[in-house]
Amino acid sequence: MKKLEGPFILVNPERCVGCHTCELACAAAHTTAGTIIGAVLAGERLHRRNWVVQVNSVKLSTQCRQCEDAPCVRVCPTGATYRTETYTAVDQRLCIACRLCTMVCPFGAVHVATTEVAGREKRAAFKCDLCVDRPGGPACVEACPTKALTLKYPTEVIRQATLTAAKQFLGALESQKQLASQ
Amino acid sequence: MAYSEKILSRSIDPATHEMLARAEELGIETAWDRYEAMLPQCGFGELGVCCRNCNMGPCRISPFEEEGPKKGICGATADIIVARNLLRMIAAGAAAHSDHGRDIAHTLLLTAEGKGGGYEIKDEAKLKALAAEYGIETEGRSKEQIALDLARAIYAEFGKQEGPIQFTRRAPQKRVARWQSLGIDPRGIDREIVEIMHRTHIGVDNDPVNLILQGLKASIADGWGGSMIATELSDVLFGTPKPIKSEANLGVLKEDQVNIIVHGHEPTLSEMIVAAAQDPEMLALAKKYGAKGINVTGMCCTGNEVLMRHGIPPAGNFLQQELAITTGAVEAMIVDVQCIMPALGTVAGCFHTKLISTSPKAKFPGATHIEFHEERAYEIAKEIVRTAVENYRFRKPGQVRIPKEKSECMVGFSVEAIVSALGGTLNPLLEAVKSGAIKGIAGVVGCNNPKIQHDYGHINMLKELIKQDVLVVTTGCNAIAAAKAGLLLPEAADLAGEGLKGVCKALGIPPVLHMGSCVDISRILVACSAIANALGVDISDLPVAGAAPEWMSEKAVSIGAYVVSSGIFTVLGTVPPVLGGPEVTKLLTEGAEGVVGAKFAVEPDPFKAAQLMVDHIMEKRAALGI
Repeated sequence: MKKLEGPFILVNPERCVGCHTCELACAAAHTTAGTIIGAVLAGERLHRRNWVVQVNSVKLSTQCRQCEDAPCVRVCPTGATYRTETYTAVDQRLCIACRLCTMVCPFGAVHVATTEVAGREKRAAFKCDLCVDRPGGPACVEACPTKALTLKYPTEVIRQATLTAAKQFLGALESQKQLASQ
Repeated sequence: MAYSEKILSRSIDPATHEMLARAEELGIETAWDRYEAMLPQCGFGELGVCCRNCNMGPCRISPFEEEGPKKGICGATADIIVARNLLRMIAAGAAAHSDHGRDIAHTLLLTAEGKGGGYEIKDEAKLKALAAEYGIETEGRSKEQIALDLARAIYAEFGKQEGPIQFTRRAPQKRVARWQSLGIDPRGIDREIVEIMHRTHIGVDNDPVNLILQGLKASIADGWGGSMIATELSDVLFGTPKPIKSEANLGVLKEDQVNIIVHGHEPTLSEMIVAAAQDPEMLALAKKYGAKGINVTGMCCTGNEVLMRHGIPPAGNFLQQELAITTGAVEAMIVDVQCIMPALGTVAGCFHTKLISTSPKAKFPGATHIEFHEERAYEIAKEIVRTAVENYRFRKPGQVRIPKEKSECMVGFSVEAIVSALGGTLNPLLEAVKSGAIKGIAGVVGCNNPKIQHDYGHINMLKELIKQDVLVVTTGCNAIAAAKAGLLLPEAADLAGEGLKGVCKALGIPPVLHMGSCVDISRILVACSAIANALGVDISDLPVAGAAPEWMSEKAVSIGAYVVSSGIFTVLGTVPPVLGGPEVTKLLTEGAEGVVGAKFAVEPDPFKAAQLMVDHIMEKRAALGI
């Protein structure tokens, strides 16, 4: 059986203006109301799963890389953090907020906050789920006003890079025949 | 014709559908396209939690519960930031209305001095009534002498330091006493606006309640000051509106005539354009270029001004300004100030249409600037009309697409006209309210906003209110929406409940009364005050409510603030940028009731909003024991 490609979200720091719109879009997409204003009016909690940070003068958003061999999944004692074929996610009903996942994530992409699960207020882990249930795909990608965020399929990226490199090599052969003869 | 879902979702108005399809066909961008391109709009802005008032910032408060900054760099909380931002909106709105009032006062002054380029005092009775309010001697004096003293006295209202602003004393005594006890009785029109700018500067007023009170104070100086001055002095100069019939919507543009659209707000310009368009010299010129006449039409509030005084038909409301040019049949769109989209020049550039800016305060990309000065008003108006007429020959008949839609309307219900329709006294209206034939009165006003399907909020709210026997008074872009939908006709009484229908039929009036432009909301205040005084109660005791179903401008924020400050419950159809400040939100939607006797509600659904208003009216009726 063909293995499905798992995508992740990649930021282009040159395009990010640090407006935090992706954070709000993430939070809104994970509410019942679906909008910031609607959620505030309804008294829903807003939680983002991505962070806009600044390193020296460069602004960029950060979030889960959707690791295939995810440390957060390996350390989870209750099976709340799990991996499907294409992404990792948290089942907050099972989460006990032990915070091991937050400790081991090399991207700092998991955090624990107060939320309501099945009518009960509790602490639970939050991380990017690629908005898998959202028809338009990840809300942050859609919301970014400068198109700094894109959903990347790594093998597609690899294929494109391979083709580009091959094309360049062929061009080199044209002018430098000795490359082939040696 | 069948239109796409996208077009149908943008408006409920068939003329607008037709022109949106035409715009799409021609690749012309409209406000709706730009709105879509703007999505998602910044959540921080929507919540009102960004502050750019000093250069330590920009700051913004995180709406996330457990992380992100909860205070600006100076330490301002979300509530402080929200309150300061709201105040600056009120300041801008009050400034816009009041500067309009100042311009009219300036015109009255010039006219009194004999320097007005063609203006005259048309309503001497009103001039004398206003003079009496100001304690100006009228006996044995010419109207110009009286006007000179009145214009100077009114000019002084703007720069007054200690108050009171004379027209605020038209409010019931209880209301004035409440303002005084709260410290929100305005001292001078400009002073309160300036104080907002001072208080919202870094490190001044940082108490959300104290801030909001100043906002109310400035807004009262608008509603009972600047706006009321604009209305009253316009009546003196151009005549107090009386019921008059006209037509409304893009179908009022004429294929065989020179089409001029006056767009903006101040009647000083539009009145003169209307006069100059009837000048025999201009008509002859039009004929020379093959036009059958000169057709002046209106847009937005200046359209309302000339509609109610001359029956000049409005071509549309705020969101139709680009579409009017898209008809390809407009020789000139003449603009002054407020609500004029800077996009117009681009649309005009696709056709022969000339966009003519006139105010030294307002210039636009792609516009021809012909500066208007009241001293040479008629002369300049003629030059502008000439420019339009001479442009007729460049019209491309193949590009002309005028929608057929237009509706008849009856407009011009100033307070004076309403009293006259009632037979000289408010009593018949009061009796109808007491008997329950009319449950109450609603003021429905305000703009268009692409966040709400164009005219959907306006029309559905109006229909729902009259169906439930609530008499409606309307101004601004709501009034034009009502005109287009045929709700400003006496026959529209058939859509009203039995009680209201009976009253309308008996008096021959529409169930929705057109009271004018946005500054004419001051007429509604005067009417409410008269009713409250007749009943010996405060305005906040009356079975009345206000609404702005499709509002967007800062002026609307100031209006909402002064309507609530006057004691009238007000429902907003779009959410103001305050939700990021829970304390401010609570104050506006709950706490204000205990302070000024009225509060705000937000409800985008016009049916639910109308129900909120009816429920409020019924509560007030019960409290009055009627």
